[in-house]
Amino acid sequence: MKAIVSEPLAERPDVEEPRATLEASPFADLYREHSRAIYYLALRYLGDPERAEDATQDVFLKAFRKMGQFRGESSWRTWLYRITINHCRNLLQSWHDRHVVSGVDDALWETTPSASDSPLRVLETRELGERIQKALDGLSPEYRLLLLLVADEELTYEEVGALTGQSPDAVRGKLHRARKAFTALFRKTGDEVP
Amino acid sequence: MKRQTKNQTASETRQTPALRQETQPAVLEFNSVEELLRHDAIHTPVPPAIEHRLARALPAPPPQPAGPWWRRWFRGKRS
Repeated sequence: MKAIVSEPLAERPDVEEPRATLEASPFADLYREHSRAIYYLALRYLGDPERAEDATQDVFLKAFRKMGQFRGESSWRTWLYRITINHCRNLLQSWHDRHVVSGVDDALWETTPSASDSPLRVLETRELGERIQKALDGLSPEYRLLLLLVADEELTYEEVGALTGQSPDAVRGKLHRARKAFTALFRKTGDEVP
Repeated sequence: MKRQTKNQTASETRQTPALRQETQPAVLEFNSVEELLRHDAIHTPVPPAIEHRLARALPAPPPQPAGPWWRRWFRGKRS
């Protein structure tokens, strides 16, 4: 006679484990408010969805452990960005040691006749994200990070400067070159709509 | 965000909307790289797996204290 014993979920591939969600708490609120921005920064900065997923999890685990140390000297968003940037930089550094990635030579973009001031016209397709990633991958990590941070309307130039260790004026100067380089690279990734 | 959708031309309106959606993706116009990135960010969903993994990795909240004996006793009397 067969014993009626329920198998553990892990041993039953046909039964999915119930999906856990964060219980209502200040940390859950923090996650819900900022996870999109943090995941997006990690995704486009690292250029790899799986690693971005791991990085976002690690960032929020660190944030959970350090929440008690938050002194309110910056916004929560800026605080989380700082953790994300440090984490992603460490990851990029360890990859860089294995695969030497060359950044973009500024001189190349200075001489490129790219009309970065004219609007970008694109077709709304599934490939748009891939084109954006390709263009970002062609930039140096510094330019990539600047563009991603400045795109967040919650951050001021002062905050972007503080996060990247430079003055707001330096941010503005580099941003001009970063935009130009991105536009030239983006236009190379596909046909632009006239 | 100054995104403009330019798929409302006179020639396109002659097509049925369903057919147009299938055959003609919308044309988006961005006045800056930042606008393009913001559009991309809005349309990039956060994988739900991150929250599930976090919920499993984080310690469970401490159990609620049961309260003094007399409160538990009264609660028991009422039910």
